[in-house]
Amino acid sequence: MSYQHAQDNWFAAIIIGFIALAVLVNILRAQLGAQLYIRRIPGLDAIDEAIGRSTELGRPVTMIPGLTDFGVVAVQALTIFKYITKQIARFATPMRLLSGNPTVFAVAQEAIADAYNEAGRPDLYDPDNVRFLSDRQFAFASGVAGLIQRERVAANFMFGEFFAESLIFAETGNMVGAIQIAGTISFTQVPFFVAACDYTIIGDEFYATSAYLSREPVLLGSLVGQDIAKLLFALTTLGGVIAASIAGTDAPIIKLLGQPGGWEAFWKSVLQGGGQ
Amino acid sequence: MLSVDRRWLYLILFVNIVIFLLAPLRMPASISPPVQKFYDEIEKLQPGDLVMISSNWSASTLAENQPQLEAVITHLMRKQVRFTIISIEAQSRDISYRLAERVTKEKGYQYGEQWAHFGFVPNLAVAIKGMVTDLPNTIKQDVRGTAVAELPVVQGVKSLSEYKMIIDVTPTGSVPVWISYSPKNVKILYCPTSVMAAEAYTYLDSGQIKGMITGAKGAQEYEQLLGITGLGAPFANTISFSHLLIIAFILLGNFAMLMNRLQARREA
Amino acid sequence: MGVLTNLMAQQTIWRLPEESRVLFATLIVAGAFVLILGLIPVLQTLPPRGRRAIIVTVTFLAGLFFAAEFFLPVDWTAIFPKDDPKRNFLTPAIQPAQNVLQIIGALALGLGTFGLVRLHLRNTVQRRAQWGYSIVLLVSFVVMATFSILNTLAEKKIVERGPMLERGFSILFDYTLIQLDAAMFSLVAFYIFSAAYRAFRIRSVEASILMFTAMLVMIGVVPLGAQISPALPTIANWVLAQLNAPAQRAIEFGVGIGGLAMAIRLWLSLERGVT
Repeated sequence: MSYQHAQDNWFAAIIIGFIALAVLVNILRAQLGAQLYIRRIPGLDAIDEAIGRSTELGRPVTMIPGLTDFGVVAVQALTIFKYITKQIARFATPMRLLSGNPTVFAVAQEAIADAYNEAGRPDLYDPDNVRFLSDRQFAFASGVAGLIQRERVAANFMFGEFFAESLIFAETGNMVGAIQIAGTISFTQVPFFVAACDYTIIGDEFYATSAYLSREPVLLGSLVGQDIAKLLFALTTLGGVIAASIAGTDAPIIKLLGQPGGWEAFWKSVLQGGGQ
Repeated sequence: MLSVDRRWLYLILFVNIVIFLLAPLRMPASISPPVQKFYDEIEKLQPGDLVMISSNWSASTLAENQPQLEAVITHLMRKQVRFTIISIEAQSRDISYRLAERVTKEKGYQYGEQWAHFGFVPNLAVAIKGMVTDLPNTIKQDVRGTAVAELPVVQGVKSLSEYKMIIDVTPTGSVPVWISYSPKNVKILYCPTSVMAAEAYTYLDSGQIKGMITGAKGAQEYEQLLGITGLGAPFANTISFSHLLIIAFILLGNFAMLMNRLQARREA
Repeated sequence: MGVLTNLMAQQTIWRLPEESRVLFATLIVAGAFVLILGLIPVLQTLPPRGRRAIIVTVTFLAGLFFAAEFFLPVDWTAIFPKDDPKRNFLTPAIQPAQNVLQIIGALALGLGTFGLVRLHLRNTVQRRAQWGYSIVLLVSFVVMATFSILNTLAEKKIVERGPMLERGFSILFDYTLIQLDAAMFSLVAFYIFSAAYRAFRIRSVEASILMFTAMLVMIGVVPLGAQISPALPTIANWVLAQLNAPAQRAIEFGVGIGGLAMAIRLWLSLERGVT
């Protein structure tokens, strides 16, 4: 058996449904006017400071979505870059968006052009500033490092999914004295960003960025729904620890939680009156 | 000391690496639990069992993944196990094929009869789902252009669920995809680079992967268990002394910072 | 009607019938062209709200396909007697859908490559700053592409693999590309050194704990650690398995939930960022 369909593991499917419900209910709450709180994220507050510094120095800003394939991570990265571009357009600061994925590059071109249009400065948009370098990891890394060094960028924003090339970008930016803000879902690259960047956005703070920057009710509501789902996970973990401590890890209630055949084993035990 | 030009650091590290790579000094490794579990799982295989190796590394991670793959293939051949190799990275297709050809030729393992290479598949999740339902029609042909249905090594095999084990040799962290989509009766073993190993401990802990060889050091431990001489040992020894150098410089840097602070306090 | 019954009987509504495959494929491709060419003027004449409605509908239907395939029960042998009990009626369409996505990805690669070549051609023609590097890129691109294409054709026995092709491809791939890849990755080792030297400072209690733990793990995971003390590898493994793993699990939960929430917002077109 494999988890090809919900029927292989209805419990997981129900959890997905619950998370979706939590998100949608809170989006509705936000749209109906509920005041929702989001805590301060220092890295995101520093975006404007970084752009200001670039403008003063007259050196470009680089935006790197990494080697992310086109998906939710890339969309989130481009949303952030669109916000940054709108800020940049106000000051006519030069920018470069360097992509390692051709699909992301194609969407980024449109997104950046839209950002300049929305900021009222379509004249500033230069398609050559949004570049596809290579989809080979280290060819991309060397291209980005070379550009950062040659153009002596003043601010470097790295948002998306990164691998081994993350430290090459971050350390090169550090060498030229750029202010660097990184956000990634890649757990293994977080230490490198923390060591080499000024601010690092970790884990689901990355997904909170669009809500934080725009303060749109829909996005804030979604964030609250995510937090409720996380609370459920925490309570399930706690419940599982207590149940496993009392009943043992072979108990049907424990096997229910995602093990292959767990659902069937659980119902069998219920119908047979508690036996395994 | 605090504002030392980083190029001096690079030079010192370079000299350190060259010296210990060339030096004949070899230290035995202490076998870590994940590597021991990896070895034990392969020891449980019976002759004729079928194993899928997913080899997704390219030249950049050759130092870590090549010793792993060589040792794994050697162990599988020792157990007389059939294996097939698949790659989701185009460069890896050539590298893993050539490596497997060289290693299997040395031991007299026959291509097509005892092992095969399924070539490059662009999308891993789709490929796994397809292999679970209909392997010959998903892969269609091997790297030499032979139809998979005609290969003796997978004669009669319709699904990935008929495999006993999947071994993922990769720098990309693709093991969650294998865990999500592969049949639950097929065990998964993992051979990541050292950087990617940190995120695999959760899967090891929960039993979703049964064993793990981490980078060159893990390869050295595995080679030691197999009693073979490979590239893992010299690389792991070089890494040892590089780590020692980094620690020394961290302590030196902190000492310099402390001295600076004391000086500043005295002057104040 | 006969065709439809035949297709249902064969359980192949997602696959073209064998005998008239070429005809049906041609009709489908031609129909797609007509649809797209007809759709573009319609989209341009529509007001923004109308365009958004079409985009929202198409996005919803596309996402609904994958969600429905996952949630619909399997084992439809009551309706399609010859069907596979491990799938529902949408499952055979997953592979063609993924093939479409891969084709779009390949088209995007062409677009990206075109953009890259155009930029560097312009640099060269207009003699912009550092145009010499643009010439290097263009020449490398043409040479590598030529040898790679010829090599692939030689593998499929369409062209003969002469000594020049063999030698040229070997020099470009084995002796240049592979070595450059390895060299770039090896830079990471040096950068880690300078980053660690700069970052691991005793600035606070937390930074001190981080620094000492890192040093313990660094020395514990290598053979030298076992030589210094047998306790070091044990401590290092404990830190990795008992401290690192729970922290990482917590972050992964958050990331997974965040990704799911983002996917829902994109599916329902509630995310206005890029679209």
